[in-house]
Amino acid sequence: MKVSKEARHVARSLYRDSLTDGRLDENKVRTIVSGLAAAKPRELIPILKTYERLVRLEIERNTARVESAAALDGAMQQQITAQLQQIYRRPIAAEFGVNPELIGGVRVRVGSDVWDGSVANRLRELGAAL
Amino acid sequence: MANILQEIEQQIAGAKRGVAKQNVGTVREIGDGVAKIEGLTDAMLNEMIDFGNDIYGIALNLEETEVGAIILGEYTHIKEGQECRTTGRLLSVPVGKGLLGRVVNAIGQPLDGKGPIQSDTFYPVEKIAPGIIKRRSVSQPVQTGIMAVDAMIPIGRGQRELIIGDRSTGKTTIGIDTIINQARMNRAAEQAGDKSYRPLYCIYVAIGQKQSNIVRVINVLEEQGAMPYTIVVAASAADTATNQYLAPFAGAAMGEWFMDNGMDALIIFDDLSKHAVAYRQVSLVLRRPSGREAYPGDVFYLHSRLLERSARLSEKAGNGSLTALPIIETQLGDVSAYIPTNVISITDGQIYLETDLFYQGIRPAISVGLSVSRVGSAAQVKAMKQVAGRIKGELAQFRELAAFAQFGSDLDAKTQAQLERGKRIVEVFKQPQYNPVPVEVQVGVLWAVQNGFFDDVSVDKLKDCQARMTDYLTSRKSDLMAKILKEKALNDALIAELKAAVTEFKQTYR
Repeated sequence: MKVSKEARHVARSLYRDSLTDGRLDENKVRTIVSGLAAAKPRELIPILKTYERLVRLEIERNTARVESAAALDGAMQQQITAQLQQIYRRPIAAEFGVNPELIGGVRVRVGSDVWDGSVANRLRELGAAL
Repeated sequence: MANILQEIEQQIAGAKRGVAKQNVGTVREIGDGVAKIEGLTDAMLNEMIDFGNDIYGIALNLEETEVGAIILGEYTHIKEGQECRTTGRLLSVPVGKGLLGRVVNAIGQPLDGKGPIQSDTFYPVEKIAPGIIKRRSVSQPVQTGIMAVDAMIPIGRGQRELIIGDRSTGKTTIGIDTIINQARMNRAAEQAGDKSYRPLYCIYVAIGQKQSNIVRVINVLEEQGAMPYTIVVAASAADTATNQYLAPFAGAAMGEWFMDNGMDALIIFDDLSKHAVAYRQVSLVLRRPSGREAYPGDVFYLHSRLLERSARLSEKAGNGSLTALPIIETQLGDVSAYIPTNVISITDGQIYLETDLFYQGIRPAISVGLSVSRVGSAAQVKAMKQVAGRIKGELAQFRELAAFAQFGSDLDAKTQAQLERGKRIVEVFKQPQYNPVPVEVQVGVLWAVQNGFFDDVSVDKLKDCQARMTDYLTSRKSDLMAKILKEKALNDALIAELKAAVTEFKQTYR
């Protein structure tokens, strides 16, 4: 979908208004979305889509998706979360999931950063090296 | 101390086992050889992006939430939602002498079916040109073997001389002739064991041309034995705009290797008009703002940064050089169009080819009035300076007088003589393609013209007389020619010998 320059500009300024001390404020986001829906400005859908994208990227930036071949126990989960917060020096929410395709090991994604310690990735690297 | 070493070794062992951080993105949009990628927050400008399956892209647009990348090679295998990652590398091409005699594409992969390229050195495609301190002024000649160029528009090693003209006026031929002449001179020096001669290696970059034309050029170079000293970089009209945009930069990187290693190289960009068109396509698909004629705002910088890379390096920096002969195709002789004016202002002079001259049979169709070399006679051997110093002026005078003489028939004897001399000079400079003339023969012939030895030969017989004289000088007076080549200047003794030789020839010629 084509998004006009104005719509992008509005979405970006709304996104800036949704931050409190540099972090996304859920209450502000809700207020902004409901306010937008009520006001129905021109190009409502492009504005909302662009805004949603900016919010999604910010959430992804502060969320770690941890995949492992088998479910991790509580202690391991805590250890991973603590280490990620140490690396990024900001609160990182962790979501844990199970992905049998990894064969073994853990894959962590925070925004566009990936630590892939899975067996599947090592096998792929080995295959490429050979 | 031993403890410290152990600690370092432990760290190394830990690093080997550890998992490295990667920066990934997701393809959001793909089409026309350009991908829009979400993520890739650490991507650098011009960094290679790995799409997997040996498909790479180059990050050209770094925006707030996405990255625009151009894809090298087949982009149809990339799907929306696919993951890609940064590599931390810039696009590099193989360089070195292993490329001589080969035909490669824009990323240095062989196209000629002669097996893999034998090279372990790689140079980045985009590189900052040598700075002021590393340079020195141009003083050594590039002998093109084309009499009109060597005598009137001399090209020096490290110079950038534009070849400009309409379609089919012989632009490529000038480049090919130059390559052939370098190959002949390189081979002659090799055979004679001349260590003082600096061979000039050539790189021919074909951008957006028909594949049949590229094959024809390669065949000519092979027939003339020039391929062993030449690299051909081909990005034909069938290649993607990305490859056409990258080809001249890849060629320049290959040339820079010769320059950095104290050797001399010559690069021909055939042609930069099509290069600008390919870059325009890439920029428009990347949604960069367009300017005049829809070219992006940085089309001047595109060519200036490319041509700035040719230079003559100082003794301290290795004494190498890279000479560039960019080619520009004009439309109906319009040199004031956007891209031609840009490249004219970047280069150190231009060889302007005219359609009218071409169809009058004056080939190479060089317009002497509009062609210029800003390096001038600094890039000529002394002997050539001695014989060709006044020729450009005489030819210009002849053109003026010829235009004036059309209005009246009564001309004084001096004007008549000037006209007759001019006609003969024009005739002498006609030259068939792929037939470069050695510099010592050029000196001999031009000396004869200057000293009136051709004045009594009728204009229609002049080419025949010149051919026989060339034959006579190269076969019967080869010692004299060798002396001129060695001395590089005409002293009194040589002039006397030359005079005797030409007089002797004139007695036998009828």
